[in-house]
Amino acid sequence: MSETTDPLGGNWDVEALLTDALRPIEPPERLSGRIEDTFAAITQSAAEELSAWAEELSESELRALRDPRNWVRPVVAVGAGGIATGALVVLELRRRSKQKSESGLRALSSGVRSRL
Amino acid sequence: MEPAAKAELDRAFEEFYRSHLRDVYSYAYYRVGNHHDAEDLTEQAFLQAYRHFDRARRESDGRPLRPWLIRIAHNLASNYYRDRSRRPQTPLENADPIAAQHDTEAIAEGREELRQVMANLDHLSEDRREALIMRFALGMDNREIARALGRSDGATKVLIHRAIKQLQEEMSDERDD
Repeated sequence: MSETTDPLGGNWDVEALLTDALRPIEPPERLSGRIEDTFAAITQSAAEELSAWAEELSESELRALRDPRNWVRPVVAVGAGGIATGALVVLELRRRSKQKSESGLRALSSGVRSRL
Repeated sequence: MEPAAKAELDRAFEEFYRSHLRDVYSYAYYRVGNHHDAEDLTEQAFLQAYRHFDRARRESDGRPLRPWLIRIAHNLASNYYRDRSRRPQTPLENADPIAAQHDTEAIAEGREELRQVMANLDHLSEDRREALIMRFALGMDNREIARALGRSDGATKVLIHRAIKQLQEEMSDERDD
């Protein structure tokens, strides 16, 4: 440990003490799994929302959607809405159940990448 | 957003998340003083960051996004206290980040000094304490801290200087008593 006081009894070397005291803290492994699960759940929520929305469309709406010029708006809307509502639902469920499960970073990676 | 652009954005966020998970967790832990709430705060910070990541990247002009991320955590931590009208369940002096990182002899020699500095850190105003956490736990420079706190570089330099000076004075006073 570094010298933290002046040999003549002067001021503390507070910066050295702070360097020792405020070390970075490694997050617990379960936290990574938890955050990855949350992102995977958001992905799932967005996909389900898109699926339910598509089932409600009429034939004319479906024909319109086949035109690529009409793709951008619904994709953006569902993307933004899915993230927001998904995040809120997931956080609320987590608060209630406090369920914790493990999964790899692969879940985050593949889940987030595949979302829309 | 087109699928290819979305995939690129998600890859960038994944890298961002991996790079800064420890920063956010360390900051959260030193703010709330216990692992349970630090985990909740960390998760919420990354969820918010994900929602606004695209815009933050566009507006960053290539500057690092760590101060933006820590500012999110800072706002969440402030809300944590304001909404629930509570203080850290564990005072900082009882927080024990060092136990696994020093040998036994070093702990015996230094624990009292470290306990003392953590106790005095807990007595600082919120902005001074936060600036020191960012500097020493996260290794942020003055410019990064300034961006995270929404202050000028000069004001941040003064803030840190005064925080360290206050700690020095309080610890010297305690030794003289």
